[in-house]
Amino acid sequence: MNRLIKIEDFSSCREQLVEIDPAELIPLPPPYDKIEKPPIRKLTDDQLKRMDASLDGVVAIGLPPPSGPEEEKAFIDKFLAGLAKLFTVENNWTFLQPLVHTLEYCVKCQICSDSCPTYIASGKQEIYRPTMRPEILRRIISKYIKKENSLVRKFKSSDIDLTWQTLARLAELAYRCTLCRRCAQVCPIGCDNALISREIRKIFSQEMGIAPKEIHEKGSVQQLRVGSSTGMTSAALKNILEFVEEEIEEKTGRKIKIPLDKKGADMLIIHNAGEFMAWPENLEAFAIILDAAGVDYTLSSEIAGYDSVNYGVWYDDFQFARVAILQSQVARALGVRKISLGECGHAHKAGIVIADRVLVGDLNIPRESTLPLLEEIVMSGKIKLDPGRNNFPVTLHDPCNMVRLMGIVEPQRRILRKIAPQFREMTPHGVENYCCGGGSGFAITQSTNFPDWRNAVSGRMKFKQILEAFQDVPGPEVKKYVCAPCSNCKGQFRDMFEYYGAWKKSGIMYGGLVELIVNAMVDIEKPFHQWEWH
Amino acid sequence: MAQIELAGKTYEVDEDGFLQELDKWSEEFAQAYAHTEDIEGTLTEEHWKVINYLRNYFQQFGIAPMIRKICKDLGIDMTKLYELFPTGPAKGACKLAGLSKPTGCV
Repeated sequence: MNRLIKIEDFSSCREQLVEIDPAELIPLPPPYDKIEKPPIRKLTDDQLKRMDASLDGVVAIGLPPPSGPEEEKAFIDKFLAGLAKLFTVENNWTFLQPLVHTLEYCVKCQICSDSCPTYIASGKQEIYRPTMRPEILRRIISKYIKKENSLVRKFKSSDIDLTWQTLARLAELAYRCTLCRRCAQVCPIGCDNALISREIRKIFSQEMGIAPKEIHEKGSVQQLRVGSSTGMTSAALKNILEFVEEEIEEKTGRKIKIPLDKKGADMLIIHNAGEFMAWPENLEAFAIILDAAGVDYTLSSEIAGYDSVNYGVWYDDFQFARVAILQSQVARALGVRKISLGECGHAHKAGIVIADRVLVGDLNIPRESTLPLLEEIVMSGKIKLDPGRNNFPVTLHDPCNMVRLMGIVEPQRRILRKIAPQFREMTPHGVENYCCGGGSGFAITQSTNFPDWRNAVSGRMKFKQILEAFQDVPGPEVKKYVCAPCSNCKGQFRDMFEYYGAWKKSGIMYGGLVELIVNAMVDIEKPFHQWEWH
Repeated sequence: MAQIELAGKTYEVDEDGFLQELDKWSEEFAQAYAHTEDIEGTLTEEHWKVINYLRNYFQQFGIAPMIRKICKDLGIDMTKLYELFPTGPAKGACKLAGLSKPTGCV
């Protein structure tokens, strides 16, 4: 396939632009160096008729082709109307300034390209360059919004023909960037090319109702309707909490009543509902630690009060604002002093940082991360810890939103240094970390062949890093723990380790931070952490 | 929308084969669908125990139960669950039970 994809090809090329060639992906260390199967499943003929896969053969959205020229024109017009709106203060109260800055000041020096794990891991596929999407957008703006004359455009070599195909490819391409913002971090003039991906998604969602099902219909919309993107109702939450309390008693002998809807508690803790459904041990560990440390907190059973996710932060300002306001209202009604967020990265970004744009007056209540609270508890001596109980290799994954975006770098490390004698860092780490590959909704986008793409391409750099962190103990006989204080990252690790067979081949398991703390607690008899793949 | 034909009947499914019209589920559907989830031959009593458990929980709470709860309430371990449903409880078992695909950060 033609590797030197030009922007013109987005409009003119009828064939699929790029085919991911396994031989071009960056190599992994043995035993993962052999290519055993095509890394990405091909769509069936039937699927190809219904869904556009002309970017790279992969589908996150899968737009149905237009029925005729009229529908194509309406589609383009809607997009352009949405694009124009992005540049007005009333319609872009979230990110107008960094958007304009990025579009106007980027000099295409390509420093960001070398920092992008997806671009590098793909074997430097042109289409995945962090500068590709902004350049397409710039050209559309030049020709169709600013209507610069053709000579100017020729001089700036910025021509583009806008067709349905161009936009279908652009929509998919906006979902090949994990929004990890490593590109923004290295940019010498502060451009944020990841934001461009996010703003493109925003046009498609807000103006055209186009977004991956898992993120919008089954995500934000379901959360606002029933209370959680998992579909978990308030009744289901209570059923699960009972189960969690039983499990705590069986595992530790402790009878703990998890506070629910307790008015006037000091803080409302909101977990990612994924913990309730898939990783109850995380909830159990939180409950055990907070109980032992005497923290005055409560959970909520109100809609949006028991699921910290706010997928809108990835694709839609309206969905974002609705969830952020609801969560804050829940906290207000409970009369808590602050909201504290559990192990979920994007919820940190949404709830603590970006929500400042929408929460005004008494809704703007203090919001913080539980990581510093956990550090305080671990360092205070309130609970007795024996690091010998965690005597296995542990490495730490840095969720991009907590670490690069917010600078919460050290609390989790100081905890691990104290409780995990074989803790080792990945290279690079901290604010320079690589994304798990599941960021910005990728880990929950489970349909068609998209999971193959994220396991093979966007998560590849992270998988390589993890293997390298454990290269002194590569075999499956030594059980290893990737500590990932984020539900989304955990979901990605579960899928990716399964995809590569890493549990069987290398004994690599993943889990959260609180589980390791409880596993080190001296007065709990049995080991809390179970080496059982799940 | 994708479709699938099983034992002479056509069903609407999502791109990954999860039944879209939940009221169309029947025991025949589950049996006819089993081979696509790597289950050989006739579904056993143990399979049905899991399938019925999933359906009951779903009717009560609108979601699939967490895997650990399935194991605990039915007194089987994770290995056994994977033996029964080789493609996994979240995929294979939920699919045969006619539940929607799990969503959210799970």
